[in-house]
Amino acid sequence: MLTGLLWAAARCLWSRGATGPARRSLSYGSPPLEELFARGGPLRTFLERQAGQGQARGPELAAVARLLSEKEQELRETEGLLQDENEDLRKLAENEVTLCQKEITQLKHQIILLLVPSEETDENDLILEVTAGVGGQEAMLFTSEMFEMYRQYAAFKRWQFEPLEYVSSELGGLRHASVSIGGADAYKHMKFEGGVHRVQRIPKTEKQGRIHTSTMTVAILPQPTEINLVINPKDLRIDTKRASGAGGQHVNTTDSAVRIVHLPTGVVSECQQERSQLQNREKAMKRLRAKLYSMHLEEETSKRYNARKIQIGTKGRSEKIRTYNFPQNRVTDHRINKSLHDLETFMQGEDLLDELVQSLAEYSNYEALVEAISQKA
Amino acid sequence: MKVWGRILWTLLPGPRRKGGIWGSWAPHAPLVRLMSATELVSHWAAVFEEKGIPEARESSEYIVAHVLGAQTFQSLRPALWTQSLTPQQLQCVQEMSSHRLQRMPVQYILGEWDFQGLNLKMAPPVFIPRPETEELVDWVLEEEAQRPCALDAQGGPLILEIGCGSGAIALSLLSQLPQSRIIAVDKAEAAICLTHENAHRLQLQDRIRIVLLDVTLERSWAHLLPWGPVDLVVSNPPYIFHQDMEHLAPEILSYEDPAALDGGKEGMNVIIHILALASRLLKNSGSIFLEVDPRHPGLVGSWLRSQPDLHLELMAVRKDFCGRPRFMHIRKSGPQFDSPENAWPGLQLA
Repeated sequence: MLTGLLWAAARCLWSRGATGPARRSLSYGSPPLEELFARGGPLRTFLERQAGQGQARGPELAAVARLLSEKEQELRETEGLLQDENEDLRKLAENEVTLCQKEITQLKHQIILLLVPSEETDENDLILEVTAGVGGQEAMLFTSEMFEMYRQYAAFKRWQFEPLEYVSSELGGLRHASVSIGGADAYKHMKFEGGVHRVQRIPKTEKQGRIHTSTMTVAILPQPTEINLVINPKDLRIDTKRASGAGGQHVNTTDSAVRIVHLPTGVVSECQQERSQLQNREKAMKRLRAKLYSMHLEEETSKRYNARKIQIGTKGRSEKIRTYNFPQNRVTDHRINKSLHDLETFMQGEDLLDELVQSLAEYSNYEALVEAISQKA
Repeated sequence: MKVWGRILWTLLPGPRRKGGIWGSWAPHAPLVRLMSATELVSHWAAVFEEKGIPEARESSEYIVAHVLGAQTFQSLRPALWTQSLTPQQLQCVQEMSSHRLQRMPVQYILGEWDFQGLNLKMAPPVFIPRPETEELVDWVLEEEAQRPCALDAQGGPLILEIGCGSGAIALSLLSQLPQSRIIAVDKAEAAICLTHENAHRLQLQDRIRIVLLDVTLERSWAHLLPWGPVDLVVSNPPYIFHQDMEHLAPEILSYEDPAALDGGKEGMNVIIHILALASRLLKNSGSIFLEVDPRHPGLVGSWLRSQPDLHLELMAVRKDFCGRPRFMHIRKSGPQFDSPENAWPGLQLA
């Protein structure tokens, strides 16, 4: 019983600490979020307004904000008893304080969840597109390694990973690839990966041992559900190699490549991954839908994310988000200024990549929170 | 290896003349082994091109990808693009390519092809399923999805496929309709064997009954009576007009069974037999789905109107992905032939 309480207290204290190791927990606990809850800070003022007359952001938030201030009041009163002469009373107060702190942590967490809007697309599957940027063969080799990293990350997260298109270079690099990824919270995690990734190292092909800088681009497109996006079949033109001639039993061709054009927008999607034309058509359609959907989302997201460091969607695609520096064996994410060491392990797409993704999610929540409270309630 | 080398030597005068890599092949065999997958694809594509083989690059890509264990060259891991092939793999590519030079269809060369997401064994002279037929299966699946669930005691529909060939239609329906049972008939022994083999490959043998039967023979329908009335008849019958047969590509003419293609003067010979037989075996308001020639919807429609006794009605015609009228949905509207429904014993499959 006592040890249980001690553990609870320890956990509570740890989560309140402004510094500490990067942790897996979402949203609450990272230093900037803690600072937001500081007395007299903007979030406080905002919450007090909510608890008082407000209710502008919904009755639930007002209620939680009221509960929080009550609990904090209770905590201050109980803390006074910690200096009491009566030992039994002191023990009782200690227990009370621990309980109070635990509840406060939970309430703060609840407030964050209420304030950070979850995105319409967070639950969706997604399409990952990797494209080699500047740097020729070296960029293509790096693109191929990045593709492999995401393949392993998907396996690590137990997501499905289904390649839709794969354009290799002659020397074993990757010009472009697109993959459908599906599973629990896949988009929620992967959405921060979109942008320009830069690699600095001595390429395998380099004879003089000079360090080159090359780039590749990652795009993350949420996969729309049937309801999210409806396409009129009349707006599509499906091109295949069987279009001329009699078709059917009269011909036996093997070229199963499919190209779909969305006539109103001119968006094109192709697939020749499969021997079955039908499967190629399904895969091309998947990509086309994702492309159209992200165009559709572009407008509203760009409005919402304009001021943020962490950009999502096409706006973020041209931004240099991360550097993989091999001589220094480090990866740095420029958006949150965070560096991790041991590149080889990072590129295996397991814990280290996941840690960075979590940090980005936390920072993104922080930004969303700041934005939420700066809006006039 | 030596035998194939000699054959290829004589088959490939073009690139050799040009002093390409094959020119130095015989005296410097190890050089050939250094050829990467991409180089090999380009090489054979050029050879096919020069010999006038259709789909030169595609054929070359499918062969090399197959030997390296992939379905398509595009789905091959990039590491394998640049890696050189082993002598065994190289020999395989050479053997297969020499078949292609004889105009053998790629599907027969690989011995397999994909249909509706299923991998099927392919063997001459059994008809190779065309991509249009994947849409026929899609249509059947769509209609099945719309039917009210409560059917009979056994749950799923009982389907009759006429002219099953490799088993492509029957097996893709079975795999996507887990409650369904299928009677697949074909008049060719080779087709029956291949459907059997494919059913076992896909572990779908328990719900399929494969019957050797020529539906154009008198009273052939009587052989199917014991299996009971069926909910659905599906077929991709031979529908090519006889006079079109001679214009078919060598891949088709010299390798595929003409009986699976030649539909007689107006391509309707087998279609008519299927309709007559379906009229006897279908339950009331049961459906027939057919793949046909684009000229057939009109011809079949007017033929049906001239045969009111069949109680068959053309419900819909659908176009294929190239916009040609390709598929027909016909429904039985009248009473069942010969005997009332309760006189039919239910089908019990072993």
